Amino acid sequence: MNYIINGFVEAFRLLLSFDPEITQIVLLSLFVSFSSTLYATIIGVPFGILLGITNFRGKQIVSRFLYTFMSFPPVVIGLFTALFLARSGPFGQFKLMYTPTAMIIAQTILVTPVIMGIVFNNATNSGYEVVLTGKTLGAGKRDTLILLITELKGTIMIALVTGFGRAISEVGAVMIVGGNIRGFTRVMTTFIAMNNNMGQYSTAIAMGIILMTISFITNSILYKYIIGDTNEYRD
Amino acid sequence: MNIETKNLIKTYNDDAVLNLTRDYNHLFFESGKINGILGPNGSGKTTLMKIMAGLISKTSGDVLYDGHPGNNDTPLDITYSSHRPTLFSRSVYENIAYPLKIRKYPKDQIQRIVTELLNEFELSDIQDHNAKKLSGGESQKTALARALSFSPKVIFLDEPTANIDPKNIKLMETALLKRKQLHNLTVIIITHNLSQAFRICDNLTFLDQGVCLYSGPPQGLIESSNPIIHDFISFNTLSNTEFQLKS
Repeated sequence: MNYIINGFVEAFRLLLSFDPEITQIVLLSLFVSFSSTLYATIIGVPFGILLGITNFRGKQIVSRFLYTFMSFPPVVIGLFTALFLARSGPFGQFKLMYTPTAMIIAQTILVTPVIMGIVFNNATNSGYEVVLTGKTLGAGKRDTLILLITELKGTIMIALVTGFGRAISEVGAVMIVGGNIRGFTRVMTTFIAMNNNMGQYSTAIAMGIILMTISFITNSILYKYIIGDTNEYRD
Repeated sequence: MNIETKNLIKTYNDDAVLNLTRDYNHLFFESGKINGILGPNGSGKTTLMKIMAGLISKTSGDVLYDGHPGNNDTPLDITYSSHRPTLFSRSVYENIAYPLKIRKYPKDQIQRIVTELLNEFELSDIQDHNAKKLSGGESQKTALARALSFSPKVIFLDEPTANIDPKNIKLMETALLKRKQLHNLTVIIITHNLSQAFRICDNLTFLDQGVCLYSGPPQGLIESSNPIIHDFISFNTLSNTEFQLKS
């Protein structure tokens, strides 16, 4: 029990000391996760809306695949990304393996279905009604697109934060394609896993606290300014 | 604007949900009149209305707008509002102003029109409220005000006064009657309220199981010998006084 308490004490000491290595790991983690969430948003939001408001044959099959990809294990995605980026793989010539770019690619593949799935689900439920209403009020294609994005703003933001949460908390994919190289591809989750394996619980706990704090701050911003910070029940 | 349907058929998975090819194969909804559509649940009222409004496609037949065929799209001077309106996640004022903004009306004109509508529909006190958080009656009034804001030629209303208190029903009916008289607005309204149908409608169309059983003046519906219509009327709470007043 003592080692857990000592771990927390040591964690706070480490946090307050602004250790340069910890700072570099945190910044790289944020950069990789923000980048992958941005790319996943650019891909996932338009396709999610389009799939949601369009009726076509095979839509159910597409949605099943989408939901399956949402829960794909990060290690599997890391493995497939590594196979494609490895020196002998189809994209080996670009020498991306064990670089932050490879980590961004893997996380983008991981996060895109999450964002697309959430947007798709909400666009299916309410997007079609918004399109129809816009149409009956005289909205053209451009007006309808703007209307859809503004009406689905809350959903898009939730999707974005969920995607970011998945990106920043996953360890399997970045470990495989990044390699956890000190000062180059080491991120918070791989750092925690490594320190846990080495029995250095204090540094692992410190990083865990930072990870949870980042998650708390992003969610707080979302709820306060975008979704509305209220749990009030209205009948 | 006159709206006509000729031999209209709509099928879903080979089942005809609307088949207007029999006795009343030519429906005529006259310009500047309030046309009511009645019938039990699942009789095809909403399907007929959505086809005429260009919201869903027909399987066969014709819909004519002032004698001209439509192109399976909603004409710009036609609008539609359902009993569960989709209001946008913005203020009541912004909702009503939306059709005017996308039509690029000048700002001062938008303000004048919206303010008039807010007063007419008694929504001024809640003009800054988020429309997503309104009560049922307030939502219906906001949706109707928004639909009327750009002075459409035709308005389709699918049970616009369902679950609304009598004061607000009167307010909404007055708004429709006023625009009918002053602006020649054509209203096509689905209602389950027979009293309302006789109070405001100039013509009534009765559907059952996708087939039209009657289309004409309200009095003819009462005099119809069709047992389905007879049953429908007897289940409704039509007051004789109201009917006599209307006659």
